[in-house]
Amino acid sequence: MTALVQEKGAAPASFYAAAQKIYPRETRGRFANLRRGMVVALLGLYYGVAWLQWQGHQALLFDLPARKFHIFGLTLWPQDFFYMALLMIMAALSLFFATALAGRVWCGYACPQTVWTELFIWIEQWTEGDRSRRMKLDQSPWSVQKLLRKASKQSLWLLLAAYTGFTFVGYFTPIRELGGQILSLSLGSWSAFWIGLYSLATYGNAGFLREQVCKYMCPYARFQSVMFDSDSLVISYDQARGEPRGARRIGSSARAQGLGDCIDCTLCVQVCPTGIDIRHGLQYECIACAACVDACDGVMDRMGSPRGLIRYTTENALAGSPKPLARPRVAVYALILLAGASTLVYSLVTRTPLIMDVLRDRNALFREVHGDHIENAYVLKVINLDSVSHRYRLEAAGLEQLAIVAPSGVIELAPGSVSTLSARLQVPSDKAAGIHVIALSLIATDDARIAVHERTRFIGPHS
Amino acid sequence: MNNEGKKQPGEKAPQRRLLMGLVLWPAFLAAGVGSIFFFAVVDPELLRDAGPRVFVGMNREEGYAIGFLFFWGIAAVASALSLFLTLRRGLGEQDLRGP
Repeated sequence: MTALVQEKGAAPASFYAAAQKIYPRETRGRFANLRRGMVVALLGLYYGVAWLQWQGHQALLFDLPARKFHIFGLTLWPQDFFYMALLMIMAALSLFFATALAGRVWCGYACPQTVWTELFIWIEQWTEGDRSRRMKLDQSPWSVQKLLRKASKQSLWLLLAAYTGFTFVGYFTPIRELGGQILSLSLGSWSAFWIGLYSLATYGNAGFLREQVCKYMCPYARFQSVMFDSDSLVISYDQARGEPRGARRIGSSARAQGLGDCIDCTLCVQVCPTGIDIRHGLQYECIACAACVDACDGVMDRMGSPRGLIRYTTENALAGSPKPLARPRVAVYALILLAGASTLVYSLVTRTPLIMDVLRDRNALFREVHGDHIENAYVLKVINLDSVSHRYRLEAAGLEQLAIVAPSGVIELAPGSVSTLSARLQVPSDKAAGIHVIALSLIATDDARIAVHERTRFIGPHS
Repeated sequence: MNNEGKKQPGEKAPQRRLLMGLVLWPAFLAAGVGSIFFFAVVDPELLRDAGPRVFVGMNREEGYAIGFLFFWGIAAVASALSLFLTLRRGLGEQDLRGP
């Protein structure tokens, strides 16, 4: 308890000053462990997946220079933008769903801002010590020791930021080539610019801006309230149980002294990365990291009081009328999410890696050839969306004795390439009268499943 | 070294930083979305081959970078104008923050 009192004395009422530097106190407990696990898992994925290989290419590569996206076995071209759009919509919906169900879990455990800030704070703790040491160090005059600690923190931060920027760019240009270019000092100026920009962003956001990103810059923090209702999980201080707050001896009866369970140790304020006092109620600055829950649970354990004075709960539960988590809003989000996911999976499974657009020749409706045939001309735009090259044959159907004059033979297309061909179809004059709907099919010679069918018109003279 | 944290609230530097963030950050997000949609349809090489002469000799990476910076710049102008108009209307920070 003496330590707590000292802490309180060492940090005068500076908790609410907006632009004050915040020294979050380190926490231990269930939610701190969960966040540490998430940080390790998510950053492990981020730094690790960039180096994964899959069938001879980088497993996850949004290859902007080549205009194709490799997602493990799948190759997406700009023409497949639909899938990317759908994927982004799904990501946004997942965020809405999670928010409606469990509040700002994204902010507390998965947001890159939280995750990198946590990592940067680990470095800070490792080089400058715990909260009170950091505060003392900042107040103390410059010394060799202070210089060493600050310099090592900054160097580690910069190194980490640079590697983060490098990895980020490595998802857009092949990371192995990029690494080679850096080692041989032959990095292109734009790659260097992007690596620099993202390093700077990481360093600034996770090292200095921290909670200010959440408070001032994050759009989600502002509009998340529309996804909230009185049944969303929030972190809340149980006012009825805690008040009136006040210091007391361990083991003494709070009730006998007319006190609630809150001992006013301010640990919940000290651990808060955004520097708020949760006891003032739900505030938009709260990123639901649950550091105050861990801190308060620890104090309650020591005081011999039950845990949960600060806990994950809902507005309705606090008011005494808890409702089940599955409610219409959650169900609707879940249904939309499910529909989106099924659409995505279905369209990916049934995706044909071939596109053919058929345009009728605009110059002439038809042409008479050899005196006894009618010819129509078309422009075909063919795109091979597969990751290997294919040979295709063109077929035409829908009219008796319909013959393909051009293109003759098979059409060969490299992966990802676009070809514009002119096609000519002929029919004996006596069969051609009127307007006919015909079907043009393009079929891969090596795989009959890769086929597209387009309807167009064949026009002959009036009969 | 970051000394701004020690300044008292109400001083200029943090507020300027905040205003810069308010302009650049939403513009960055908008430019990201704009670039994704624009370059999903337009290949930078098309700009090089069919566009104005300033693009001659540009490769795709340069095209993306120029495109993104262009969108960022335009969006930042819009952001800055919004901020300027809002502040010039005499709305204080209190009004911005809402009830």
